[in-house]
Amino acid sequence: METTEIKESLKAIFTDTLGHNSFELEDDTTAKDVDGWDSVTHMMLINEIEKKYNIKFSLMDLMNLENIGSLIKAIKSKVGSSLIYVALCELLELESLVLLV
Amino acid sequence: MKILQTLQESMKEHSLRNAFLINGTYYTYGQLGSKISGIRRLVQDQVPSSEKFIGVVTNDDLETYASMIALWFEGKAYVPINPIYPKTRNKEILEQTESTYILDSSDTKYLDDGFHVLSAGNLSTQGMDLCPKTVHPESFAYVIFTSGSTGVPKGAPITFKNLDSFASAIDENLSFSLYPSDRCLQMFELTFDMSVVSFLAPLLKGACVYTLSKKGIKYFEIVKLLSEYQLTVLIMVPSIIHYLRPYFKEIHCPSVRYSCFAGGKLFGEIAKEWNKCIPNAQIINYYGPTETTIYCGGYLFNKEGGNKHENDVLSIGKPFPNTSYMIIDENGEELGVGKTGELCIAGEQLFPGYIKNEEKNKQVFFTVEHGGRSHRFYKTGDLCYKDADGDYMYVGRADFQVKIRGFRVELGEIEYHVKTKLVGMDVVVIDVPDGMGNLELGLAVCSNKIDLEPVISHLKEVLPPYMIPTQFLFLDQFPHSVNDKVDMKELRARFTDLKTKHI
Repeated sequence: METTEIKESLKAIFTDTLGHNSFELEDDTTAKDVDGWDSVTHMMLINEIEKKYNIKFSLMDLMNLENIGSLIKAIKSKVGSSLIYVALCELLELESLVLLV
Repeated sequence: MKILQTLQESMKEHSLRNAFLINGTYYTYGQLGSKISGIRRLVQDQVPSSEKFIGVVTNDDLETYASMIALWFEGKAYVPINPIYPKTRNKEILEQTESTYILDSSDTKYLDDGFHVLSAGNLSTQGMDLCPKTVHPESFAYVIFTSGSTGVPKGAPITFKNLDSFASAIDENLSFSLYPSDRCLQMFELTFDMSVVSFLAPLLKGACVYTLSKKGIKYFEIVKLLSEYQLTVLIMVPSIIHYLRPYFKEIHCPSVRYSCFAGGKLFGEIAKEWNKCIPNAQIINYYGPTETTIYCGGYLFNKEGGNKHENDVLSIGKPFPNTSYMIIDENGEELGVGKTGELCIAGEQLFPGYIKNEEKNKQVFFTVEHGGRSHRFYKTGDLCYKDADGDYMYVGRADFQVKIRGFRVELGEIEYHVKTKLVGMDVVVIDVPDGMGNLELGLAVCSNKIDLEPVISHLKEVLPPYMIPTQFLFLDQFPHSVNDKVDMKELRARFTDLKTKHI
């Protein structure tokens, strides 16, 4: 997945959750730079991102987020591992099917 | 006053131990003492002795904490001025308390017009002056402003006697007892009174206060501090564990000895789950309004189960020995065991009354003659009942005051400010669940969809961030209950259904 593509979806999620679009999302953008991005909306943003990409962040992932750049990195690595996971599941299912046969 | 003496002794005895960790830097009791001494000299030189209330700009640094304690040693009250809140509100607070002097550790003064601002940073640190002045017990130690329904915040001043009594009441009560080796969390804004116990209780015992960095997301910063420094004492509002709940499986902190809650409803179910993250901790559910000095009673949670609760809200237990509770009905008659009514509180922790607000003082106080003595009671606005063992259960609020992120909010105050911009329109501000177990503020307007941007910008100018509504709803007509009041339950349901977003 491309960084620009993720940035676009993030922009949409932020606009929807925060109720405005007067912000830019650059790699070094932090919560301080975006009006309304606080402790409360942070959780809503995370929930929306998790839903959109069908991923689940761990507490460690979230504690290490520093800016938009690290958020995008975290999404990429999560999506990557969840793809591998899906592939594994499919493989296993195939095998179990084989066994059933 | 005993607390001031104990503070002085603690600073002497533990001078080489750490008193604070602020933004990653440790400060010893010796360093704290020398800062306090410097600020005392400044206050003695610059501030007339008639000045009783002094503003303190609440920065995240040693100077700010030292300023508050220095004022105590001088027998003065601090008025916390939070730079993240609107200046108009802060000025209103300074005006109400007639504070003209402000201690400020910021590089650039937060306020300058019309105030004497004393810089609390970069003071000479020669010689120690930690002997407290003789302080009158009825003198004020600090003032906390809470939301008022007329649009003006209410100032609740707490006396040294109140604070002294509080400090003795919590020590070695409900199993709570601190040692110099304890590492204690201070997560609160200094404009919220739970900050007072969070720094005072450790300092009285030579323990170390770990303050929360304001840079990150609050609940994650707490977990970072907790795991990095193996904290032993946590004083928090319940909303923190609601946010952390999805990640409980990843939290394991056997170092925690006490996990104290106050400032909101603590549910039994989440307390039990949280206790698994901190397996060696005793959870204590404290209760008390700001007006009765931080908290005035509590309940010991039993992790094995069998806890008392009302709709899963844990019991608030019994009052401290220095405090009495009483439940009354609408006519002011005392109610017996099992009957729900308004909880009223008397005792040594009860504040003398709101600043310059006789009308409100008349409403909230009443006196009861008992055994030839008169006792002054304060009406909390909380609905409770007492069980046969004398434990109190919390049922809900009697009025429209709610808690948002631990802060008390009068919905009426927000409505008041909304109406100044939406003249003639029917509006209701209501607390709505955010789906994660916490409350958000919803603004319902009786109108076609309009641009609320001017309203919100106005609110941001006059109210602190936690009082700004985040959900919006436009209706042709508000739902009404049979007795013609706006049906809050129905309205809340519409918010949850629609989740209409602003713009």
